[in-house]
Amino acid sequence: MSSLAERATIFLAPKDRDAVLGDLAETGTNGWSALRSVLGLVVWQQMEPWRAWQPWVAGSVALAGSLLLLGVSFGLSMDSRHLLRGERGYGSVVCEALLMLSWAWTSGFAVGSLSGKTRWVNGILCAIPCLSCVLRFQDTSLSRLCVLLFLVPGLVGVVQGVRRARLSHRTALMLAIVMTALMLVWGGMYMRNWFLFLPAWWLVAHAERPGLSNEKAAA
Amino acid sequence: MLGEFEYVLMTVAAGLGESAYGAAIREEIEKVAGRRCSIGALYTTIERLEKKGLLKTWMGEATAQRGGRAKRMVRVTPKGMHAAKEFYEAMMRVSHKASWATGKSERAS
Repeated sequence: MSSLAERATIFLAPKDRDAVLGDLAETGTNGWSALRSVLGLVVWQQMEPWRAWQPWVAGSVALAGSLLLLGVSFGLSMDSRHLLRGERGYGSVVCEALLMLSWAWTSGFAVGSLSGKTRWVNGILCAIPCLSCVLRFQDTSLSRLCVLLFLVPGLVGVVQGVRRARLSHRTALMLAIVMTALMLVWGGMYMRNWFLFLPAWWLVAHAERPGLSNEKAAA
Repeated sequence: MLGEFEYVLMTVAAGLGESAYGAAIREEIEKVAGRRCSIGALYTTIERLEKKGLLKTWMGEATAQRGGRAKRMVRVTPKGMHAAKEFYEAMMRVSHKASWATGKSERAS
């Protein structure tokens, strides 16, 4: 048995390691052939989740959401500066901040709940526009990290989405309504901002409904 | 509906009965179906079928021949048998007029 093949099994789930190494030993497969078999399984396992639609939607939300939220974070940073100079009211900036937090969290939650298995791909899809924006940032009056304000609530959302998968219907509906109300109060009704509501309303559509759960359990 | 490779795997596993495990299924597929079966395709399909409730797997005994490593035993569940039977019947239905199924020689058009 090739030690390289054995080392490559660290990429496999623990239950698969014994079975695969045992199969290779039994069939007398060793050397590069054994390594190729193990790496082939690793690739198959990584590709498997992509047979479903969820990782594709999660990846699209991760990419499009981060592109849009970069702009929202920058806008919030600019408005916070205007607030400090007395050129803006508290209400408007607080609404904008709460919306940014909720947009980022709901997008993250949707990404995490849709496809926790492809989180590394989603992370890369989110990181590419972030890095590109940070490296090209030219406003010297603001820290270039200001465009990344959405990352923390977004990551919290991803972690909770992976763990919980669904919100209760009541929570999801309340969240979506409060977010929509904040948007109406704030007045930033651009096409970009409406797109950012999609994850929140998707969470409502896929929330846990006690009545439906009981019916399914009974069935 | 099952995929073609899923059906082949389940049929071979059902045929092997109590001795159905990774390497045995792979060897049987290569021998009977005459096609190469990679470990990647085999274990990914087993995993998928188990998630669908069509197969049940568990870790079996370890043997010296396997370097002291356990086998991943496989059994087709009743739901799996039903799905395989449906696939088989559907293939029989769609094939009944085909020349290779009827045994009649195909006319050149």
